[in-house]
Parts: sequence; C-alpha cells; structure tokens
Amino acid sequence: MLAFDPSSVFLSTYLLAQEEAEAVAEGGFDIVTLLNQALNGVGIVGILLLTGLGLAITFGVMRIINLAHGEFIMLGAYVTFVFQDAFGMDLLMTIPFAFLVTAIIGAVVELTIIRRLYGNPLETLLATWGLSIVLQGVVKLIFTAQLKYVKAPPYLSGNLPLLSDDAGGALISISYYRMFIIAVALALLGLTMYLFYKTSWGRQIRAVTQNRDMAKCLGVNTKLVDMGTFAYGCGLAGVAGAVISALKTVAPPMGQDYLVDAWMVVVTGGVDKLIGVLAGSLLIGEANAVIAFILNDPTARVIVLAAVIVLIRYRPEGLFTIQKRS
Amino acid sequence: MANAVMGYKQSSFPTKLAAISGIALLIFIILPFVFGDFQLSLMSKLLLFGSLGISLDLVWGFTGILSFAHGVFFTLGGYASAYYLKLNLSADSNTYGGELPDFMVWNGLETLPWFIAPLKYFPVALVATVAVPALFAYILGYFIFRSKVSGVYITIITLAISSALTTFFVSQQAYTGGTNGITDVSKLSFLGSPIPPIGLYFIILAFTVFVLALSWWLTQSNLGLILRSINENEKRIAFLGYDVAQFKIFIWTLSAALAGMAGGLFVPLNQFISPVYLAVAFGTQVVIWVAIGGRGTLVGPLLAAILLGQVQNYAEKVTQDWQLVIGILLLVVVLFIPNGLMSLLPKQLSLANLSKPKVLQTSDAVKN
Repeated sequence: MLAFDPSSVFLSTYLLAQEEAEAVAEGGFDIVTLLNQALNGVGIVGILLLTGLGLAITFGVMRIINLAHGEFIMLGAYVTFVFQDAFGMDLLMTIPFAFLVTAIIGAVVELTIIRRLYGNPLETLLATWGLSIVLQGVVKLIFTAQLKYVKAPPYLSGNLPLLSDDAGGALISISYYRMFIIAVALALLGLTMYLFYKTSWGRQIRAVTQNRDMAKCLGVNTKLVDMGTFAYGCGLAGVAGAVISALKTVAPPMGQDYLVDAWMVVVTGGVDKLIGVLAGSLLIGEANAVIAFILNDPTARVIVLAAVIVLIRYRPEGLFTIQKRS
Repeated sequence: MANAVMGYKQSSFPTKLAAISGIALLIFIILPFVFGDFQLSLMSKLLLFGSLGISLDLVWGFTGILSFAHGVFFTLGGYASAYYLKLNLSADSNTYGGELPDFMVWNGLETLPWFIAPLKYFPVALVATVAVPALFAYILGYFIFRSKVSGVYITIITLAISSALTTFFVSQQAYTGGTNGITDVSKLSFLGSPIPPIGLYFIILAFTVFVLALSWWLTQSNLGLILRSINENEKRIAFLGYDVAQFKIFIWTLSAALAGMAGGLFVPLNQFISPVYLAVAFGTQVVIWVAIGGRGTLVGPLLAAILLGQVQNYAEKVTQDWQLVIGILLLVVVLFIPNGLMSLLPKQLSLANLSKPKVLQTSDAVKN
C-alpha cells in the first residue's frame, strides 16, 4: 500500500509515529498520544516546508508551473547517495553538493526548456512533466531501479525524551533527525528571505517579477535573473532531497511522492510572500496530524486534499495573501 | 471511424477523404481477422484509450481546460462495470461460493453494501457506468467553473482530486478491493453466453466510432464554436452574453460520461480494475496522448494512443526504458511541434483544418 500510494509522505511518517506511540503509551487515547501526534505533525511540517520552499521560488516568485519539482528532490537524494557511497561522506557534508548539482541541472533546464515557454503556463506544465519523466528515466538508466539507502549521521539518531514516566522510559520524545529537518527547513527559509528582501540580487528578482520590461530598461539582466532564480529553486529542492534521503529509500520515482504535497503547501500558503510556505506547511501538516489522530491516515489525507481544493476554489491566491485590486 | 469526418469534408474533397475514411474503417474491420488473440485485445484496449483521449480533447483541445482527472472518470466507470461483472460470477467460480465478492469476505463484510448491491443488474450497471462519473464531474464542474478559478489552478485541482481518490480507493479495502482493485471478474455475456473477444472488439470499435462522430458533430455545431471561442477569449464570450460556466460544465460532464463509458468497456476486456488507473500517472498518460496526437484534432489523440501503444508493445521487448522515450517525445512535441503530430500531416488530410472556427473563414471573406 505504501509503495503504491503516490503521495505517501504523510502515511509513512505516520506509521512510524504510530509504532512509536504504541510502544510508548499503551493507554491509547490519552494526552500523551495526542502530544506525540502533535510532535509528529511538526516532523511532517518540516518535510513539507523543505519540499515546498523550492516550489515557492519557482512557482511563487517566477510563476513557472514546475511539475518536475519532485525529480529535483530525487536528484538531490541521489547526489547524497553517490557522495556517501563513493567517498563515505557524512550526510551533512553532501548537502552543498546536492545544492550545487541540482542548481546546475536547473540552470541547464531553464536555458533549454523553460526559457522558450515563458508566458505559457500550460505548455510549461506539459514540458516540465515531460522533463520529470525524462529525469526519472535517465536516473533509472544510470542507477537502475534498485532502491538505494542513505545513512543518517550517527549523532542525529535516537530520540530526545521530553517527558519520562516513573520507570525512566520516554513518554514523549522527538527524534533528533526530525528536529534536524525542521532546523534545516527554517534555516533555508531564513536564508531565502534574507536573499530576497535584503540583497541586490533579491531586489532584482522582485523587480523582474513585478515589471519585467521596466527592469530590463533599468539595466537588469532579466535572462540571468530568471536562470539564477530557477536554479536556486531547484537547488533548494536538491537540499530537500539530500535531507529526506536518510528518512526514506532513494529510488527514481520517489519525487512523485512529494510533488502533490509541495503543490498543496504552496497553493495553501499563497504565493505573495515567502512566509506563506511556512504557514501553508504548518496548516497542512498539523491538520493532517490532528485528523489522523481522530480518524485515520488515508482519511486525513483525503480530507486535507479536499479542504485544499475548496480553498483553491474560494481563494486561489492562497490563505495568507493580502487581497489586491486587479 | 473516419466516416464522420467524411460528412463535413464531402463538399470540398469528396473522393479523397471518402476513400481515406473508408479505408481506415475497413482496416479496423479486417484487422481482427488478420491478427492473433494478443493483438485483438491490445487493439481493443488502445481503441478505448483513444476514446478516452478524444474525450479529454473535447475539454482540453477545444475548451482549454487541461485535466489530469480523466483517468478518474474512466476508472469510476470501470468500477461500476467491475462490480456488475464481479457480482454476476457464477457461484462455483466465486472463491467462497456465496454471493459476496472474495475481497469483501477477506475484509470481514457480512452483507453486500446497499450502494453496491443494485449493480448486480445490468440496466443499473449500464446507467451507473455513465451516470457515476458524469454526476461526479457535474458536481466538480459546478464547483470549479462557477468561480474565479482559472487555467493552471483547475489543472492543480484535478491533480489533487486524482491523488485524493487514489488514496481513498486504496484505503477502503472492504468496498473497493484496495490496491489490488477488483480482480477475477466474470466475462461479459449476452443472453447467457459469454461474448467472444472478437465480439468485444467490434463493440469497442462501434463505441469509438460513436465517440469520434459525436465529438466531431459537437465541435462542428454552434456549441463547438462557442467552446472554441471560450478557449480563444473567455472574457469576450462572457461579454457577448453567454454563460461561459454553463458551457464549460456541459462539455466537462459530457466528456466525463464518455470517459466513464470507455472505462465501463475496459473492465470486460482487461478483466480487472485497480486504483492504478485513478492515479496521476494514468491521467498523465491520457494528457500525453492528446498532446502528442494534437490538441483539437479529435483523430490525433486516437491515433497517438494506438501508435504509442503499438510501439510500446514492441519497444518493451527490447528496452525497459520506454517511459524515457515517451518523456523525450513529449518534450520534443511541446517545444517544437506544439500542435502535435497531426499538424505534420499535409493540410488536405489534416483534421486540424476542421478545428479552425468558421468565423475565420468569414473574416477572410470580408478582407477579400
């Protein structure tokens, strides 16, 4: 069931959580389980934030419908696998390489495909879908369809007990790796916001998205900005892939699992401000955790997706966007 | 199948097109007698996929709504038909001898759920294969099109729906058979005797001709003209006093009904249905047929589905990386042949002419 489900990110993390919960609190429906579930929701929020951030750049800022986003995550995971496999590198050390490699591939993609299709969202959507199939195919050709495993660094394994019972067993705990994911996600969000709102490069990007022709007249190299921004968004996806690679097995179709979720996060949060991604992932991750606690996981996913559809219907610009006159 | 095309073209190129469509239909009629069992069932399947492509072309090629949910409509029709066939298994071929399908027994159901039970009867099942997807599409369409949601967001909604329904069908094991879907169904029979594969092929061929003819007739009618105008300039059509949403809902529902019928015919042929056909990947496959065949050409998606299916059949004996080929093909088509492979045909043979609004011709006349 898990292998089949196209977006099993919630499920897989939940099953883990349920095992934890069952092992920890045998009482079942009590405050401890609820707290564990909420903490687990935080873990999902981290993954959602990480995977959604890159998309918030490519779709939110550049308005590129990038259906190959999941494949850039997959590429990042493979970069980590290769570096760990070949040089025995620590997962943390591979993150910059994952960023660089996926950013370069992103730049090439922008140069050869995306650039021809600006102002044509549906064509871009189709082309990036073709690209996603091609990337999966090429990776499968190189690495075969076999599942690959990436090791998490030893100092990030284990759980941090927050509350212990009388016997000293942990009642409420959060795994270090989950905390690490959230830390990386928040750090990347902060870095990206700094880049966008405090540097001249960010100013140029915002200028180009607001008024391309005017920016051009004022001497901004719009083509370079486009390429750089898209490459940066892809690089972020690569980092997400590198970090996630230790949680799940690495395989060519893995990116598909994150695509729909990343889209839901970005659409929910709204594309006006980068901080919307955080809001979107918080809302979706925690809603999912709470509903899954009350009912069950697949139902939670269906309800959350349905809620997002209703949201798009009434507020296509996202929840956290200030209404503008058009 | 191309007969329908002939009707319109008769005035301009009667002999040529009559010949081509006649030959095309003849080939499809002779085909089953030439090929073996495997090709027969493959061609039946590809004709159904082609019909599904045509139904998507109605909403995407003509009205400009890109949907990844057509696999969903197809599968809903498929499940309706699968329940019918499953419930009509003779008692001795049912694993547990009883009336209850095997997967329900495994999952601890004691009685047949009330919403599945009526599907035992053929008329109910027949109506359901069309009505269930159509009703679902109508509700969805009413919800989406009567709002300011546009273009890309609609596509994202269809992606979400496909993803949500897949999860739902997989999770409701007792009612849907979970990941495996509904397998080991009985053969479709007529007056008590099972229909042979060749009979099924001709039913499917007739269905394909029906879908093509209906779609062609629709797109040539005034309705088709309005749909194309919506694609070109939605605002202007709204200003002219047309209720754009109503037209969109209509064509969306009709298209879903056609997709559901195709799905209903798919199950007797394929002998099973599973959430694989609900998933985004299959919905994408349909989009790829239309994109490669040529949007707004009707025949294009059908030919693309048949061509790609046949090539895939042979290519998969040589290479495991057929999907890579499809991906490259899709990229090449989007970047360099935006109107699809049909646009590469000589103009006289191309159906693409037909999709040009008649308005264009009158404005040309005015210019002259």
